Amino acid sequence: MTTGLAFPNVARLAERLTSVVGRRFVLLRPSELLVYESDGLPGYHRRPRLAVFPGTREELVAVVGVLAEERAPFVPRGAGTGLSGGALGDDVVLLGLNRLTRIISLDAANRLAVVEPGVVNVKLTAAAAEHGLHYAPDPSSQTVCTIGGNVAENAGGPHCLKYGVTLNHIAAVTVLLPSGEIVTLGNAAGEDEGYDLLGAFVGSEGCFGVALDVTVRLAPNPEAVRTLLADFGDVLHAATAVSSIIASGIVPAALELMDGPTVQAVEASIYAAGYPVDAAAVLLIEVDGAAAGLDDDVSVIEQLCRQAGARHVRTAADAAERARLWQGRKKSFGAMGRLAPHLIVQDAVVPRTRLPEVLAEIGRIGARHGVRVLNVFHAGDGNLHPNIPYDASDADQARRVHAAMSEIMHACVAAGGTITGEHGVGLDKIDYMPLIFSDASLDAMCRLRDVFDPERRANPGKVVPVRSCREWHVTPAARHGGSPA
Amino acid sequence: MSATLPLDVPTLAPRTAVELQAQLAQCAAAGTSVRVAGRGTWLHAGRPVHAAARLSLTALSGIVEYVPGDLTITARAGTPLAELQAAAAAHRQFVPLDPWGGDAGSLGATLATATAGPWSSGYGLPRDLVLGVELVTGDGRLVRGGGRVVKNVAGFDLVRLSVGAWGTLGVITEATVRLRALPEVDETIAVSAWGMPLDALVVAIRRLQPAAAELLSPALAAALGLGDAETLLVRVSGNAALVAHQRGTVSALGDHAVVPADVWRRLREVEPAVASVVRWSHLPDRLAESWQAAQRAAHLCDGALVHASVARGVVRGILPTDDPAAVRGALDAPFGGTRIAERLPGELWPRSTASGARDAVHERLSRGVRLAFDPGRVLNPGILSGDVT
Repeated sequence: MTTGLAFPNVARLAERLTSVVGRRFVLLRPSELLVYESDGLPGYHRRPRLAVFPGTREELVAVVGVLAEERAPFVPRGAGTGLSGGALGDDVVLLGLNRLTRIISLDAANRLAVVEPGVVNVKLTAAAAEHGLHYAPDPSSQTVCTIGGNVAENAGGPHCLKYGVTLNHIAAVTVLLPSGEIVTLGNAAGEDEGYDLLGAFVGSEGCFGVALDVTVRLAPNPEAVRTLLADFGDVLHAATAVSSIIASGIVPAALELMDGPTVQAVEASIYAAGYPVDAAAVLLIEVDGAAAGLDDDVSVIEQLCRQAGARHVRTAADAAERARLWQGRKKSFGAMGRLAPHLIVQDAVVPRTRLPEVLAEIGRIGARHGVRVLNVFHAGDGNLHPNIPYDASDADQARRVHAAMSEIMHACVAAGGTITGEHGVGLDKIDYMPLIFSDASLDAMCRLRDVFDPERRANPGKVVPVRSCREWHVTPAARHGGSPA
Repeated sequence: MSATLPLDVPTLAPRTAVELQAQLAQCAAAGTSVRVAGRGTWLHAGRPVHAAARLSLTALSGIVEYVPGDLTITARAGTPLAELQAAAAAHRQFVPLDPWGGDAGSLGATLATATAGPWSSGYGLPRDLVLGVELVTGDGRLVRGGGRVVKNVAGFDLVRLSVGAWGTLGVITEATVRLRALPEVDETIAVSAWGMPLDALVVAIRRLQPAAAELLSPALAAALGLGDAETLLVRVSGNAALVAHQRGTVSALGDHAVVPADVWRRLREVEPAVASVVRWSHLPDRLAESWQAAQRAAHLCDGALVHASVARGVVRGILPTDDPAAVRGALDAPFGGTRIAERLPGELWPRSTASGARDAVHERLSRGVRLAFDPGRVLNPGILSGDVT
């Protein structure tokens, strides 16, 4: 719907793709395509014309070559866990990368690994474990999400507070451009010279091409880890504790806030982690690194929490207790899934000193619209995740939820924040882009995209509103899909 | 030494980004090329630029917003780093940017050149530290990328693209960068590295993860008053217990002494006014190859100074000469890693891409990016490799 290109003849395209990957890996029937109409965010349904799943690097190159020759718009997709409506599209070829799961090499001495885009995030860490290494970015979906998807979204996770987001862990990417050409961005063997095209590619949400392989940096496992749980009778006290920990100069590995409703949802689920159900908020705080001095940091953090009004602060006694505390946090979205048929997981960032007031404002917005907001988020980064369970089939509820989410976004921007910290813009945030970027800035982004994909065939209609692209001239006829199959 | 501008070219000195927009729009329309000169401190770096006008950012200076609790600071591009450091120090914080050359240079120049000093080993490269930029493109458009918060994936990344672009996409007019809190203890230890196998040194430093670690050639150690042997300079910081532990680990490497932190400033300012500078880099465990390549170059030039950012695997050779004959060897010797020139005698620049040359697709993308932001190529024409008509 948003590409200006007429979709090529589907039968011919399917035939050509089948000759590359085999009949099993080209899906055409609506019933088969159903699962690819949505991603991890409810509320968006887009119908691809077909889906293709190359199984090798060579097949992927050949598939993208066919798409280029046929001038077919396509949407790359990993595990489909994205939360921005990014990995879907009407009248496109859905390019599934989840069969490309090889870890091509692992160089422990240099802490580098070369992986295919479909490698699942935790499997990389598992492969690195025997060398005392791990892959640091740890989105909550890490047991299923792929490195290729992580690269496309510049994904985050709790431990990004200390270790940085995906981009900080990518040394190089071999990119297959939408034209079918191959180019290496970045440099694993030394410094990179010239424009940071790797930095531009990571987080480009599939609009600049697909990764053939990714060279990731691995991080050494810390010598020691301490995980604390602090519980508060008032969510604003917890937010104040976050600000004072950040201001102290200690950089925790993670600093997560869960509010009372989230804690209750987790504790009522199979992921119960032993959080205090009467808490208005808990902080899950982790420090790691050299064993020396770590307990001094723990003491300072405990003291800061108590000063901010914490009722209790405890440190996990062993690895098992630590894992349990983390499971509650990482599965909290799953636990919320029990509350209603649908869950909107929102993503925004505010300056860390503004957390108390923004949380209070979010509470007021939820109350005004009669929706239930559950907050679980990367507090140390100011990266909010206000979530609303609801029933999308109830039109009135859906309307109130969307109104509340829109007001929350405006409140975060008004506080000096941004509209997404780690989930990406996709379809969901595209209308918010003009809130934070001028027409000139959005136009500059369009121009950048056009360098990588002049035909605008890769994930069309995402990230930057089409109307912002000056040279964009689409006739209404072209917009509605072109020739039928 | 790279050619700089004749003194008689007109100088633009905008006081606001809006003024700069009008000036650059005019330059673009007239085809007037512009040398972005910042505060005029580092014009010897990069390829020679022949431009019809000079752009000074001295008047575009000052802190725009500093909220200590957020550990971020926003300032105009012409603000000297020293001014930012002083403002941050008042709140026991610091800007983890320590470019070669010292703190007299501007924030904008530090970011535009992405020059990475000793702290980049511990705190990250300039690209990792910038949260947002405002820039005026070559055709006078005011563009913003990123924001003022520490995590942000909204839109395509114009921040990373403009940092290290040497002003060729747009003139950075304002930037927001991350700050760090000053550590409770900050200690610098000089260890004799004489006879120490480099491989073992790399492993030890990458395990220790100090704030900075530079290996100094004997001549450089001597220039800094640290004796006349290869010396490892390590900066350890954190709480008292951590620093005590790190001090113990570093001390076990060899003869050592605690030295004043001022040595880092002196290291950054050691480069003479007339010099050629080349960097060799490779995989971390191949530091020895880069070190040897730099040593070979140094042997061809009296008074050469060499140092290595051990954790990053980057070796930097400072050759105190602008005699092409003395520098040619540094560029022509075979080397399997990446060689990047910072400063060269003008006529040697065409040789500097012998290593690390990119393929045609990469060059086409780079050229496309350049033209998307500066269609008339008026900003710093020729300063980057491959930036030719």
